[in-house]
Amino acid sequence: MDQKLIDEVLAARARAYDEARPEVVARVHANGKLTARERIAALLDPGSAVEYGVLSGRGESDWVQTTGGVDFLGTVHGQSVVASSTDFTDRGGGYGAGRLGRLLALANEHRWPVVLFTEGGGSRAVVPESAGGRFLSIAGQNGLPHGIFEGMAELAGWVPTAAMVSGPSFAGHATMAAFCDFIVATRGSSIGMGGPPMVEAGFGTRLTPHELGGVEMHEQIGGIELLVDDEPAAIAAVRKYLSYYQDRPSGAAAPAANSIRSIVPNSGPYDMHQVIQALADVDSVFELRPNWATAVITAFGRMGGRSVGFLANQPLSPNGGAINSDAANKIARFVQLCDAYEFPIVSLIDTPGFTVKLPGVALKPQDEQRAERPGVTRHHARPLRALHHRTVPLYSVQVRRAYGLGAAAMAGVGNARSVPALRLAWPTVELGVNDKYTQGFDDIVDPAETRERIIAVMRLTKRSLERATKKRPRDPW
Amino acid sequence: MDQKQIDDVVTATAQAYDAARPQAVASRHASGHLTARERIAALCDPESFMELGVQAESAPNAPGSAPADGVVTGAGRIDGRSVLVASYDYTVYKGTQSRLNQGKLERLMFLALEHRWPFICFADGEGDRAQELRGAFGGLGGMGGASGRVGLFDGLCELSGWVPTVAVVSGTSLDGNAAIAMFCDFVVATAGSMIGTVEGQFTVEAHEQMGDIDLVVADEPSAIAAVRKYLSYLMCDLPSGEPSPESETIRSLVPDNRRRAYDMRKVVLALADEGSVFELRPNWGTSMITSLVRMDGRSVGMFGNQPMSRLAGAIDSDASDKMARFLEFCDAYDIPLVSLIDSPGFYIGPEAERAGIARHHIRTLTAIHHRTVPLYCVQLRKAYGLGPVVMRGSGGHEPPDLRLAWPTVETGGMSLEGAAYLVRRKEILAAKSPAEALAIRDEYANTVRDMQSGLRAGRNFSFDEVIDPAETRDRIIAMLRLSPRPQRTGKKNYLDTI
Repeated sequence: MDQKLIDEVLAARARAYDEARPEVVARVHANGKLTARERIAALLDPGSAVEYGVLSGRGESDWVQTTGGVDFLGTVHGQSVVASSTDFTDRGGGYGAGRLGRLLALANEHRWPVVLFTEGGGSRAVVPESAGGRFLSIAGQNGLPHGIFEGMAELAGWVPTAAMVSGPSFAGHATMAAFCDFIVATRGSSIGMGGPPMVEAGFGTRLTPHELGGVEMHEQIGGIELLVDDEPAAIAAVRKYLSYYQDRPSGAAAPAANSIRSIVPNSGPYDMHQVIQALADVDSVFELRPNWATAVITAFGRMGGRSVGFLANQPLSPNGGAINSDAANKIARFVQLCDAYEFPIVSLIDTPGFTVKLPGVALKPQDEQRAERPGVTRHHARPLRALHHRTVPLYSVQVRRAYGLGAAAMAGVGNARSVPALRLAWPTVELGVNDKYTQGFDDIVDPAETRERIIAVMRLTKRSLERATKKRPRDPW
Repeated sequence: MDQKQIDDVVTATAQAYDAARPQAVASRHASGHLTARERIAALCDPESFMELGVQAESAPNAPGSAPADGVVTGAGRIDGRSVLVASYDYTVYKGTQSRLNQGKLERLMFLALEHRWPFICFADGEGDRAQELRGAFGGLGGMGGASGRVGLFDGLCELSGWVPTVAVVSGTSLDGNAAIAMFCDFVVATAGSMIGTVEGQFTVEAHEQMGDIDLVVADEPSAIAAVRKYLSYLMCDLPSGEPSPESETIRSLVPDNRRRAYDMRKVVLALADEGSVFELRPNWGTSMITSLVRMDGRSVGMFGNQPMSRLAGAIDSDASDKMARFLEFCDAYDIPLVSLIDSPGFYIGPEAERAGIARHHIRTLTAIHHRTVPLYCVQLRKAYGLGPVVMRGSGGHEPPDLRLAWPTVETGGMSLEGAAYLVRRKEILAAKSPAEALAIRDEYANTVRDMQSGLRAGRNFSFDEVIDPAETRDRIIAMLRLSPRPQRTGKKNYLDTI
């Protein structure tokens, strides 16, 4: 083959890499960020990256490199994944290459997790490649991005999906992030349905992206799973999140396990996080949505190496662990997530039951108690339905209270389906007229025995990700 | 057999019926209510109700003090089809729940599950019966075994998406009674009723604003009529249906001026069979309309953007949940969908973001992607941004069965006015007056609009055809006839409640 033809391709490809655009890289670094390619490199195991679509087509006289973003296959902790990042420095970032739709189809076929770095303002107002004269795409008939929303919808509840949002992520970019099971955002970033230009066009108000949809606000309303300081921390969080999709052969108890008998007072608040730390393997607890609906704690963790989902009431929360509609949604969504990906659930129960927020009261977390009263809404039925239809094992520990339907929202009520694998209570358990919907218990145990009991029963049940089809698309909220 | 033995049974049983309890009946009537038994009689086809457990009473030392133990339960028929009904009796310990009467509901759960018979509950009552002491260890809800495979609340979960569950709230519904209401798939309430706990309640109107109530009506007869009508869509198709008088007006519903709002409810009326429109959650998420209707007798779920709403048809978090739930519901019961599209897309701005639209909107996209029922789309005017994706699916693997548009259709990737702020930003910022800025915006928007609107949208095959609005009904019915309602042997998915 003519060496010139090959050189032409290699030269065109080289133009796509960071080395070819030092000014852009410097600008990104000056903003405290990583380039699209650096993010992928930091995410994937070294040497595992395979890029799809460095080139997008042929222009007037030469090959043209893909713009707007990069798409890769690779591994994280040895597990195959799809990883894609938009490139904000290139006209605000876009899904211009058309490769992501293909990779999502592959992810669906092989059940490979998907990681998206989304940053950008949605679809572009003009199609860039066609603006500059003759252009022949190599991606397909018309080379236009297609199928990424549909691709993500199809993955819901089938393959694990994670997004990192660093910078502004609006419209289509927000949609891509929101499709994911897990969103981690860096401080100062923003997420929104319509960006500042759209809001200005519609309402005449000029807002910065952060004023419009700051991730600090989203953290308070449940819009993201985790808020971290910077991109390295976000990438580490994504890697940790994905690590739970693989079990380990064993795991050691945490030092906190030694103090498990002294955490729970006979009455009054205590921190349920300490109970989770005492039950889980050392350094294995990874909390999701920690600052929203704080009456309920949802966390991934490990017990004896096995990945589990911890679901727990938080007596230390402003409303004392009562389940309001936000908390009900938080439980339901977490149960769906655990069920979709075969995480056994460990439920730690201590709740005064259901509450309803007073309508029209804007809430800060510290006002929750004042702005609520006991009651029930349709939201409260969501956790029961999710728990009832789960097929993963559930291990429940009633620590103290379970008034009304509170225990049912934490562990289900069923004998027909979804029978808990183990129902324990601690000596502090409150028995009486308020707990009529508890299931009863298999035993009252010493807190210090709890971890071993659960692990022993868990060892008897296999975790299997080998399913032919998804159970149910999990809800985004 | 000793005649006296027989007489004793008959006499004692008769004490439970309204005829033997004139005072209780009078007190219910005085407060504007029907008795527990009158409600059932009004709901079911005449003479069709067969009671189960009329003699049950959890006060063995005072026989006759708690007729039917405070809840009338049994099987009957509505429009000739089998249903199960429970009606709490407020005159017996304020309709409270005892261990025994919970068992009566658990029996209905068992029968509903076994036979796929819809379950209807009149759910007024004040929760736990204080007069009854319960033992610890072994709650009654969860044990379930006494009366069937399932308890009450897991029974309601199990029925979800397979057997219709309906609650009527008329009066005060507290604690466990309120939970029954909130756990059913369809809730109708009478105005002024209360839902809550012994400690505090909200009006059903307040709950309606939280999306908890499908319909608030004036009185019990209206509530009962609503239940019968609701179930009719789920239980049967009719062989045929006539167009409504409003169908004559269909060409004049979309105004000439593209900026003027109009009432999408009128379009629904014009497309549906006469008298067949039944709207769900009309006062919540109002920028989206969700209605059960019939077209040529077939049950159809019609959802549409409402230009005449505060948000002008933009989809906010509530509208998004309302639409997604409606799609999931129609899908579960194999009811085909008709989508009426005229939306600027999802609601944007600080208010929308604080309500979580950036995450909530995904549920609609997921729901429309996973549906397995036919979807017939009619775009009346605009669909920008994600509007078309959410109202008709993104098109590749699960495209709509029919994509129609009216001559007033306009299409575009994003709000054309918004696009102007991106493409012509410099000129707009340099404008000497707001009026000039708007003129630049509109000039751009109009130019682009002309390129991809009306007949052009048909020529580029964005739609199967751009049609005369007057043809719409017949086009959809023709497609419906080609796709008969399938028979199902198991449920697809459970429904989320909200």
